[in-house]
Amino acid sequence: MNILRSRRLHAALAAGVVLSLAACGGGGSSSSSSASSSGGSSNLPSTIKVVGSEPETGPAAFAGLSAEKGYKLAVKQINDQHFLGKDTTMDVTFQDTKGQIPTAASIVSTVVPDKSVSAMFGSVSSQEAVAQSPIAQKSGLPIVYTQAGSDGVVIGNYTYRATPLMATYYPVLKKYVDQNKWKTVGVIYTNASPTLVQVATESIPKLGLTVTKSIATTATTQDFSAPIQQVLATHPDVVSILQVGAANPTAMTQLRQAGYTGAVLGNSGASAGNLKPAGQDGANMVWATDFNYQQTASSSQKFVSDYKAEYNENPLQYAAEGYDAAWFLARSIKDAGSADRAKIATGMAAEAKKKSNGALGENLTWKDGTIQVPGSAVQWTGTDEKLLYSATS
Amino acid sequence: MQELVSVISLGSIYLLFSLGMSLTWGTIDVLNFAHGSIFMFATFCAYLILGKTSLPFLAVVGIGVVVGAVLSLLVQVAAFEPILKRARNKRSAEMQILIGGIGIATIPLAIAQVQTKSNPFGLAASTFHVTVWHLGSARITNVAVFTIVVGLAIWGAISVWLRRSRQGLALRSIGVDSETASLMGINRRRLALGTMAVSGALAGLAGVMFTYTTSAITPESGDTLLIKAFAIIILGGVGSMAGVAFGAFALALVETLVLTYTSGSWVDAVAFGLIFLVLLARPAGVFGRKEVRRA
Repeated sequence: MNILRSRRLHAALAAGVVLSLAACGGGGSSSSSSASSSGGSSNLPSTIKVVGSEPETGPAAFAGLSAEKGYKLAVKQINDQHFLGKDTTMDVTFQDTKGQIPTAASIVSTVVPDKSVSAMFGSVSSQEAVAQSPIAQKSGLPIVYTQAGSDGVVIGNYTYRATPLMATYYPVLKKYVDQNKWKTVGVIYTNASPTLVQVATESIPKLGLTVTKSIATTATTQDFSAPIQQVLATHPDVVSILQVGAANPTAMTQLRQAGYTGAVLGNSGASAGNLKPAGQDGANMVWATDFNYQQTASSSQKFVSDYKAEYNENPLQYAAEGYDAAWFLARSIKDAGSADRAKIATGMAAEAKKKSNGALGENLTWKDGTIQVPGSAVQWTGTDEKLLYSATS
Repeated sequence: MQELVSVISLGSIYLLFSLGMSLTWGTIDVLNFAHGSIFMFATFCAYLILGKTSLPFLAVVGIGVVVGAVLSLLVQVAAFEPILKRARNKRSAEMQILIGGIGIATIPLAIAQVQTKSNPFGLAASTFHVTVWHLGSARITNVAVFTIVVGLAIWGAISVWLRRSRQGLALRSIGVDSETASLMGINRRRLALGTMAVSGALAGLAGVMFTYTTSAITPESGDTLLIKAFAIIILGGVGSMAGVAFGAFALALVETLVLTYTSGSWVDAVAFGLIFLVLLARPAGVFGRKEVRRA
């Protein structure tokens, strides 16, 4: 009995020590993002905290990790240039959503009560972003996304998306279609991506093409022989493959094995080297993209140059979008003259009314919380991407 | 005609993959949910080696087979055997092995995801090139021919071995009653290790053939096939070699027909819906045997 009482006493003491340390150590919560330590210009604190949430592991890791590189480069430049003031720096930390919706939502829920955090960068994954947005919007936490093109992401004045919807820049391929004088198309698309469903059902016909056959495949489809057979039986002028991940090289390989040798209209999900496993069978897929490292806009080339100096590789579109998202947030904070969340949201609204230059191009505008980009047409050569043209060229 | 070729080709892939899983489940009572990860990781290892040196087809197949066998043995020794030793009874052992397999599967998955950033990877760096042959109006690749021939040959060999050989009989007896089998002098551990090695080798072989067929897989590709293999085995009947072949080709047939004649969105719903209907009529599977329990 005495031993048991002693153990309880020890446990209570230990708990008391832990609680005391927690109360003393949580310095971030004692000062709101808008108050005190006014080391910067105007009412900006010396450190503006931003939390990023990206899938660093899981199926979308390639996009999440690339986006983080863009964010980090932008933040480095923002701080080096003293963009927010001589004594104010932006501090961004990233958390891994692990490709899981509950984890992504939990990250936002954890950030909301931490008033030392001024804003967030949301997940590239649509499914995760749709879970994050309601929490952020309702709690008044500014959040900027990249990718995440489905409905339910940009839902209010605290949510913005620095990636244009694919349907808005896909029309850049019309020039390519007209050059080749195509009139009909057969489409094989995945129904697992709302973006690609929209491209298949709305954007492709708007290129002036009549759809001879349109087949939806599921996320678990691993053999495309049958849909390819169906499409080719209608003798379209061109075939469109709108898939994600490994389905792109698989579909291209099986399309070539079926005897189709012409060009293929794809989507930017085939970028980032996803077609490499298909070898030469992947060649001559053409897609519309919001960014390619070869595009000639001077602000884009400046970004490419800075990115290569930092990472010794060419940037993907995810990095370019992250870069522009971070600069958008920085300008919004500067516009607001405050790290207060509500004021940042006002700053974002103001910035979204202005034109800007960035990695994605020049004189970019925003519409309904989403950036607008004219787009470029890119062709996969079998080994590399080749910029065919940009909408502004 | 092309649809028939597609069914046989796809069914052979499913057969190769499901055969290993059915073998362990039907004989040594191991439902190995790490099978999909082994399938993927064996191919991933071949991909890594091809990044250093170009190899011919058989060498790549060999790598897949060996890596699959070794991985499977490791899983058995490091995870499943300790679970079996500590389990209170057979039922709790089965559940713990199932959970353990799911947990073990995350390790190779995570390694591959980190290395590839979940980008697709393939075996294009090998010296082997896929050739398309024409059979009348149909097309078939050299990869598909190899998969069909090898898949059916291995299935036939395993079926005959299980039925006709003493070792096969010994293995089947472990599946019926492992305690009594042990009392009859059967070395359970050695047979279990051998079975897991063969199962892993089949997973590795299936991985390589699947990747040559599709040109690319991702670290998550094994999970999709795992669910299908589970359905195939249940449909055909646990422990039945004829059943796993039936299940594999039946699923391939349904999927191909749905993809050919309807919108592809219905593939999974129709395929698994049919499996569900069959199981309502025959809960033990098409070729499964009814269990007899003493009162």
